[in-house]
Amino acid sequence: MGFKKKETEAGAEAEPEQRNPSVADLFALLRPHFFRYRTRLLLGFLALLSVDFLQLTIPLYLKEAVDILKNGTATSQGLLQLGGFLLLTATCILLLRFTWRMLILGFSQRLVTALRSQVFSHVLAMDRSFFDQHPPGDIMAHISNDLNSVQMACGMGLVAAVDAVIISGAALLLMVSISPSLTLMSLLPFPLLGISTWFLAGKLHARFDKVQHSFGLITEFARNSMISIRLIKGYTREQQQCNTFAALGKEYVAANLKVAVVQGILFPVAVLVGNLGMLMILYFGGKLVISQAVTLGEFVAFIQYLYMLIWPMMAVGWVTNIAQRGFTSLARIDRLLAARSQLENSVHTVGHAVEESPCVRPEPPVISMRGLHFSYAKATAPTLTGITLDLQPGIFGIAGRTGSGKSTLCRLLTRQYPIQNGMLFFADQDVNRLAPAWIREQISYVSQNPVLFSGTVAENISLAYPDASQEEITTVAQLAALHTEVLAMENGYQTRVGERGLRLSGGQKQRLAIARALLADRPVLIIDDALSALDVETEQQVFANLRTCVTDKIVLIVSHRLKLLAATDQVILLDRGQVVAVDCHENLLRRHDFYQAMSKKQFRNSHSQGEAK
Amino acid sequence: MRNFGYFEEGRVGKVSDLRIWQRILAYCRPHKRNIFFSLFLSLLVTCATLALPRLMQLGIDNYIAVTDQETAARLERLDGLVHLSLIYGGTVLVAFAAGFVQVVLLEYIGQSLMDRLRNDLYRHFLGLDLAFFHRHPVGRLVTRLTNDIQNMHEMFTSVMVTLCNDFLKLIGILVVLWFINPDLAAVMGLFLPLSLAVTFIFSRLAREQFRAVRNQLAVLNSFLQEHISAIHLIQLYGREAVSTRRFTGLNHEFMQRTLAQVRLFGFFMPFTEFLSSLAMAVIVWYGGGKILQRQLTIGELVAFFSYMRLFFQPMRELSQKYSIVQSALASAERIFQLLDTGSSIHSPKDPVALDTIKGTICFEQVSFSYQAQESAQQDEQVQAVLEEAVLEDIDLQISAGETLALVGPTGTGKSTLISLLVRFYDPSQGRILLDGHDIRDIALTELRQQIGLVLQDVLIEPATVLANIRLETGMKRAKVERLLADAGIDSFIKSLPQGLDTRIGEGGLDLSSGEKQLLAFARILCRNPAVLILDEATSSVDTEAENLLEQAVEASFAGRTSIIIAHRLSTVRRADRIVVLDQGRIAEQGSHEELMAQRGLYAHLIALDLRLKGVNS
Repeated sequence: MGFKKKETEAGAEAEPEQRNPSVADLFALLRPHFFRYRTRLLLGFLALLSVDFLQLTIPLYLKEAVDILKNGTATSQGLLQLGGFLLLTATCILLLRFTWRMLILGFSQRLVTALRSQVFSHVLAMDRSFFDQHPPGDIMAHISNDLNSVQMACGMGLVAAVDAVIISGAALLLMVSISPSLTLMSLLPFPLLGISTWFLAGKLHARFDKVQHSFGLITEFARNSMISIRLIKGYTREQQQCNTFAALGKEYVAANLKVAVVQGILFPVAVLVGNLGMLMILYFGGKLVISQAVTLGEFVAFIQYLYMLIWPMMAVGWVTNIAQRGFTSLARIDRLLAARSQLENSVHTVGHAVEESPCVRPEPPVISMRGLHFSYAKATAPTLTGITLDLQPGIFGIAGRTGSGKSTLCRLLTRQYPIQNGMLFFADQDVNRLAPAWIREQISYVSQNPVLFSGTVAENISLAYPDASQEEITTVAQLAALHTEVLAMENGYQTRVGERGLRLSGGQKQRLAIARALLADRPVLIIDDALSALDVETEQQVFANLRTCVTDKIVLIVSHRLKLLAATDQVILLDRGQVVAVDCHENLLRRHDFYQAMSKKQFRNSHSQGEAK
Repeated sequence: MRNFGYFEEGRVGKVSDLRIWQRILAYCRPHKRNIFFSLFLSLLVTCATLALPRLMQLGIDNYIAVTDQETAARLERLDGLVHLSLIYGGTVLVAFAAGFVQVVLLEYIGQSLMDRLRNDLYRHFLGLDLAFFHRHPVGRLVTRLTNDIQNMHEMFTSVMVTLCNDFLKLIGILVVLWFINPDLAAVMGLFLPLSLAVTFIFSRLAREQFRAVRNQLAVLNSFLQEHISAIHLIQLYGREAVSTRRFTGLNHEFMQRTLAQVRLFGFFMPFTEFLSSLAMAVIVWYGGGKILQRQLTIGELVAFFSYMRLFFQPMRELSQKYSIVQSALASAERIFQLLDTGSSIHSPKDPVALDTIKGTICFEQVSFSYQAQESAQQDEQVQAVLEEAVLEDIDLQISAGETLALVGPTGTGKSTLISLLVRFYDPSQGRILLDGHDIRDIALTELRQQIGLVLQDVLIEPATVLANIRLETGMKRAKVERLLADAGIDSFIKSLPQGLDTRIGEGGLDLSSGEKQLLAFARILCRNPAVLILDEATSSVDTEAENLLEQAVEASFAGRTSIIIAHRLSTVRRADRIVVLDQGRIAEQGSHEELMAQRGLYAHLIALDLRLKGVNS
């Protein structure tokens, strides 16, 4: 049986999850897939059984050959016939093996493909609190590593399990039929193989995890130093960095050697046990032949059967590990799939009310907050503590210290987190009575760190509205002061950006995200500190353009920059999760210490200049 | 020099490229003794493995298959069998022990080699100039340090094992068979080219398919990475259906490619097994015929069965190993190519001795462009945007103790100017003098230690705050405390849970950006440089931290040369002189009042602030 026994995946570390799915849950997850491919599986295992059966007949041919040669009844005609039969059997085995590989391994690939799609569409529907618990890296690990283990378990693992049981059972039976006592003797070393494989494979896995971990540390360290190369050079930290890197390297080498020690025993031990079994046959079997209790042909066949036993014995340990890992992985996948979006939950509780969502846009949009209170899942203190606000069309600035809840407020408005009833109203309706998707359709949101997708500039701008014409795209790009820069790029709007394309600067990304939001043209526009990377001039220009096209819209702009805040209609000042003031810039400047402090710093120039005049 | 593509991940190396082998061998040299010992072990393992079927054959022919019925002879035969069994058992143990030692030894050699190579490469990277890092994306460099080295290691262990054990075994088997029966051995020898051909064809096909699967996996993973990270965007703009559709397409394509792989392996894996059975059939027919002609014994026939079983074992491995070697050579090529890339920034051979630096800086007709540095590398497919503008004809005198502010729109070369001063790059034309010495004549570390640089980002090492502040200076704790107190920034240390002993960095406390800047400044204090540079140091910190930092600069750096770059014009007003850069040239310079009077670019930038002020009051 040929397949790689190499450990490839790093097991994702154990997570403190609340729910532990039962075996029944896991089978329920797999059942539809097994059911769907039942014919394929049935035929596959039938082929596998036939292979096993045919394989067992090969030693019989050899036994026959040796026996007729020994007692002198052999003719060259008879030998040719025997060889012919052997070849015929081998051809059948070849074809049948190909068949089961295609059917069963093909099934395992189809299974994980389906699971992968299932996980992806499931994840797409999750709310933000889910992603706070499961960072993208974790989900990626589930999709790649865990699905790999499931595929292994359902493909080769399953095959090996079935195969090992049948082959070893049959080989044992045939051996016993030749000589029970010799069988017993030759099998004496075998428990050693099963036990050591089981024990060592487990150890190997743990040690291999350490290697992976260590490798991860090296990678991360190297990545960090490459990113901060300017700093390392600026501080002349080269030597120190090299030392730390070398130390990490040493750990990595040590971890690898520990793996090698296990591997150095694990694989040769199979050979050792096989050879020890052979030794038993040589000695005890030889004695039996001498005392004429078994024929020489039987003796030779016995040797062949013993060879056959080595692989199932190794497989026992291997299969146990594969199955174990497959189950753990499947459990993780199951937990992931069992997570429900809390937004959807709340929608279900009010039943059909969701469908009553107004089909036309509320004109003009109105958002009200009534004692809006919110805390993150793992936070000790609430982030928002009772915000009451009414927002009507106009431009609102949001200001406040770091951690005062500005971004949280934006996220709640865009329905990324669940909120209790009676706290947030959209068009006079409790948001929990409205479908999250509908609310999102009312809002354009530009986050602090704009994200680009691999694709062209045009595709990125028209994310919300893929059918947009080039003129429309150009218009919003002009509004976002991006147009000239795009034209300067090699392929203009068709320039590829993102991972494999052009790297845009932070300011370009932010303006692209603004253009994207403007193209979406929705009643509410939220800009969460997304002008921060622009220089003063560009920021002013973008803001001025923005003003012209957002009449009748609610615009919220989070910013640290007083210049920007000063240009808004009203400024909402947040502090420790509460609204401390909603007023125009000038009034705040007069009345609020914190706002004054912020201002003093940033306006020092202008003030003194004003006085000078 | 030949252009090695460092970019094509899927590229395979040429096994016949001698120069690469030479360099790899050079790395092996220190481990000569261990390598020879492992070669010896290989020989031992092979001999032991090959001896076993021979011993079995001797047992059968001499003791088991003898057809005499005398009791005495039978006892004698039993005696011989015991002896033979003991030898057999001993050989089994030797093979096992030698095999074990060999695996561990090879791993040790391989890991040590790769460890050295990795450290060499890392050190080399750190010594390269910044233009290099402009050209090479971080991810690619990290891949060189990790995956490429990993590839080479895999080759090292595989190649050693393959060459030593498997080839030795194949040849050994044929030799042993030759001794038993030359005719039958010759027939069996035909299987060698046959199975090598099959292996070769398979490994080519497998490599193609493997690459196809890998590429699609990369596409799939980057799609997932991108979409899962940006999921809120997808939800906000209602793109779920489109994403799902695209994912299904990619996923399906991936499945198709893996299925093609399953098909190929489904044929090849059983095929070697088939060849083995074919050999058995030939032995039965041809070897059996030989027995009939009394040219072969039954024990020898059984030995043939066993040897041929051993014969086909390495075949399957060989095909995998060939592709490992190829990909490893491609990795080696990329690594050595990087090791050959020299830095364009060199520390001078005989640096000028500097005693105390006063801090006079002079830019003499300095011009700089990234393109000039990169023209040699035009064929590279890097699309890094060079946002920073080129500098042209910069003439600038900064006298000792002066505070100079650099202002100007984004991308006008302010940071580039600073980068030239600390020799991240060298100017394309002109020169820069520090206290009258060309900075290219000053030892690089000396120069960088004399110029204290506070950037927007701060390098935090996972250690205590104290260790992070004093770094390699080894300054006494009390002195650090005094410095901080003098600068008036000890309050920030006191606010940390364990003061100076607070652990920060990975696994420790996360500092706010304001605290990081203060820390970076504290570091500079310890190093006591002649020149201080603040490059956008305060643009991302809150007002309180900014105030604190400004006071600290005033308290500790009065009388020393300092250069300040800032977005916020308020910060630059107190400078002795303001230099306004525009599109790589000095547009104007002078004090705040002078520049305001000129009504130029500076006045325009200030007016932007004023306009707002005017609107609102």
